[in-house]
Amino acid sequence: MKTKSWMILSSLLTLLLIAAGCSGNDGTSGDGGSETEDGKTEISLAGWSSSPEEEKLLKQQLEDFEEENPDITVKHEVIADQYMDVLKTRLVGGEGPDVFYLDAVEAPALIETGVLEPLNSYVDEDFDAGDFEENLIDPFKDEEGEVYGFPKGYSTLGLFYNKEMLDEAGVDVPTNWEELEEAAKELTTEDTVGLGISPEMARNQFIGESGEGDMVVDGKAAFGSEEVVNALQPIVDLRNEHEAAAAPSEMGAESTGEMFGQGRAAMVMEGNWNVPYLNETFPDMEYGVSEIPTFNDSQGTMAFTVSYVMNQASEKKEASWKLISYLTGQEGMKTWTETGLELPARASVAEELGYEDDEIRGPLVAGAEYATAWSDGPNLPTIYNNFDNEFLSAFLGEKSLEEALETGEDVANSEIGE
Amino acid sequence: MQKKKSWAKKLLYVVLITYALITLVPFVWALSSSFKTFAEISSGVMNFIPKEFTFENYKQIFIEEDLFFRWLLNSVAIAGGGTALNLLFNSMAGYALARISFPGKRMWFMLILAVIMIPVQVTMIPNYLILKELGWLNSYQGMIVPAMINATFIFMMRQFFINFPKELEEAASLDGLGRFGMFLKVVLPLAKPALAAQAIFVFMGFWNDFMRPLIIMTDAEMYTLTVGLNSFKGQYVTYWNYIMAASMVFTLPVLVIYMFFNKFFMKGLSFTADK
Amino acid sequence: MERAEAGSYSKVKSKKKRNYTRLLRSIIQGYGFMLPTILVLLVFILGPVLYAVFLSFFDVTLLGGTVLDYTGVDNYLRIMEDSRAKRALVNTALYVGIVVPAQTFLALFLASTLNAGLKGEKIFRIIYFLPTLTSSAVLTLIFMWMYNQNGLINNLLDKVNLPTYNWIGDPNIALYSIMIMNIWATAPLFMVIYLAALQGVPKNLYEAAELDGANVIQRFWHITVPQLRPITSFVVIMGLIGTFQLFDQSYIFSGGSGGPSNSTLTVVLLIYQYAFKSLGTMGYATAIAFILALIILIASILQRVLSKEEQFN
Repeated sequence: MKTKSWMILSSLLTLLLIAAGCSGNDGTSGDGGSETEDGKTEISLAGWSSSPEEEKLLKQQLEDFEEENPDITVKHEVIADQYMDVLKTRLVGGEGPDVFYLDAVEAPALIETGVLEPLNSYVDEDFDAGDFEENLIDPFKDEEGEVYGFPKGYSTLGLFYNKEMLDEAGVDVPTNWEELEEAAKELTTEDTVGLGISPEMARNQFIGESGEGDMVVDGKAAFGSEEVVNALQPIVDLRNEHEAAAAPSEMGAESTGEMFGQGRAAMVMEGNWNVPYLNETFPDMEYGVSEIPTFNDSQGTMAFTVSYVMNQASEKKEASWKLISYLTGQEGMKTWTETGLELPARASVAEELGYEDDEIRGPLVAGAEYATAWSDGPNLPTIYNNFDNEFLSAFLGEKSLEEALETGEDVANSEIGE
Repeated sequence: MQKKKSWAKKLLYVVLITYALITLVPFVWALSSSFKTFAEISSGVMNFIPKEFTFENYKQIFIEEDLFFRWLLNSVAIAGGGTALNLLFNSMAGYALARISFPGKRMWFMLILAVIMIPVQVTMIPNYLILKELGWLNSYQGMIVPAMINATFIFMMRQFFINFPKELEEAASLDGLGRFGMFLKVVLPLAKPALAAQAIFVFMGFWNDFMRPLIIMTDAEMYTLTVGLNSFKGQYVTYWNYIMAASMVFTLPVLVIYMFFNKFFMKGLSFTADK
Repeated sequence: MERAEAGSYSKVKSKKKRNYTRLLRSIIQGYGFMLPTILVLLVFILGPVLYAVFLSFFDVTLLGGTVLDYTGVDNYLRIMEDSRAKRALVNTALYVGIVVPAQTFLALFLASTLNAGLKGEKIFRIIYFLPTLTSSAVLTLIFMWMYNQNGLINNLLDKVNLPTYNWIGDPNIALYSIMIMNIWATAPLFMVIYLAALQGVPKNLYEAAELDGANVIQRFWHITVPQLRPITSFVVIMGLIGTFQLFDQSYIFSGGSGGPSNSTLTVVLLIYQYAFKSLGTMGYATAIAFILALIILIASILQRVLSKEEQFN
């Protein structure tokens, strides 16, 4: 009896609260973020947060920005997971943030829909857009050369090698694929493989394209071509013929970085995010970083860029641009990249921070020039989804590479349609 | 005869304990990981007792996240309010579908069943648009009202009430109770075990809900615990230590509630008249 | 005859009136009890569903000003030619076919064991319930860790000289890995519902059967199972819906791709990919969603017919 009356009472109470909530709501919810009482403009900034460290850096940047622009306050929204899904939902509802992170791989599709504000008219002398590395900014341009986003930083892949293991095996740091292959074989022991590999297109596109072939042609999948198959074959053979390579999932690790840290791989191709990770979790480890060895005599790596972009539907574009230009400007970028979490996309900042001469970061910075940017037209998400799906089974020796990639290409293209 | 029984009992215990171990292993592992340093988890060594016992992960959650208690309050308010409403409304609907014959009943029952069969992935965006029109984004009611009934548990309550003896209702109507009074005073008290089960599931549903608050709540002050504490899965590196500590913080309150309601399963009342 | 009819006319009339008031009362009562449900259903559930039905006949880009392009039933026809859709359907059917019976039986077994009056059953009830309390995302992550090639499960198998597997990477195994995890995690949930229902089974039925010399297993099959039929029906239908809509686990296992080689691709994962990963395929995603709903509906009706449960009245 008592439970019942308690239940009804609390139900009624809840309804009452809800009713009160409704009437108290004057319809300004959502993040339109109108002018606050003291005449300040509030703009919203959405992104993900990779680590507590990243959050701290951004907080610092935003504090500096608000100090410089006392009439603007920034409301930072962290989207904890499934970033693009949540963002797209909010954009469809017209409730998108004013400024947000956008990964280069998603950029072309979003630019096509027109939800992003073109930025060319905002750029002035002071901002110095020419300072950015060309191939980092390209994914954020449309065909007419209009720019929709400026990189907050970037990451490239380098070859991380375990100094101790290389010394023990008497192997030099490899500079081309043949040497890499030999070294991997030498370095493989019972518990350790020579080379840890992420069997994903995001990590291997530059290898697939090191021959004559392109993996994406005219916005369609082309990774089933003979040229691409031939270029990727050595990677698959290294695992299946020579047993000198493995994927993280085979070794009880989540990423090749973790494999490397745990000593399960002597060499991996990883990005600069791996540097703070290794220093934090495996402080005793001695490792070196070099540029990725050449495949088919061509120097290559991947570059991952995230830009700040502006919502086309934003009502506070002036303030939003101020924020973007601060965060991607020389001062803001310096704060952001000072700890090496990401590399500076501006040549001037890179120079100022002296990363080119840095033993660990030098080889990564060098990659920016020749890197394949991880972005390839609006259909890339469909294309890499099908590639990853099939490449994994070839890598694990379940299928021939040729068969796997041909299947993947067909499926991807039938999904893309005409 | 007696001997055979005790032998069977022992076997039963072996089965029960084995299954209990299978269940405990992942849980204990998560618990122990929540006290490990990130370095220890990353080392890939599988030990159940942390080499270096640390409270840092919990400190990160309770202290470094200055909004923790606000998030906790949000979660409690949403889950508590939502559960109370669900218990009442689902039972009412389940009762009507099982015991009252009214025109359109069959249609409503089919409709309720049919809507659970449509995956949420395709209704997510239209749902968001409706909440936006109502001005309910970033609010408790946006989380509670659309979920204050649950088709699954309406269905469950209906299945429970179907076995309910007619005689009790007839006796109650002689006492001059109206239908609603009878529902409250006679029917609901007899449905305690089902209500307890429902309370746990509905509470858990709200408590663990991730996707809805992730989309609806944009103000950090309005996050629920699941959303607030979920930012440790990075793009390239996953902070297992924080995730495990956070998952312990999510699980504990539900465990307490379960233990509280568990007694209803033990001494629950019968639906049937012959008791 | 005529006179009799004429005489009973007023009676018939009053009876009709009584019937009418009874009908009116049943409408008021029925809809009164259903009111909150109907309101929420109409505004928050049926509305979006109808919107989705509408979208399934278009090529839709919702972003950047909705662009609708009427395509009739093309989206539905396209499913026939989509090899991944077929694969997803086969995977999902296999998954449902194994998981639903297994978890239902396990739940019933656990519940009746824990209702037998054993010592310490309270503790078992709490332990068994743990997986249900933990969110499915965290559980999946824990399992992935245990499934690793050097993980706990392979270590154990190795110790007792059983073959080890690449639980996540091997296309022939991956789906079964998810099945095992799901059966283990979902059975306790249904166990709790069975436990609640078991309280309603009259004790004297068992006592009478025991006097007749029925053993434990006979009592289980002849009393417990038939008495719990409505609840089993609920458990099976909820199991069907839950398994047909498998998403979380395969999303996390495959990083969203459904790999390796589409072996963990489920229908809902495919819907998700079309709805969010590629732009302009929202309409196609909703079309698949309705075909899936139709399949679940047919499966549920089949279950009802097969179990000879009372009809939808």
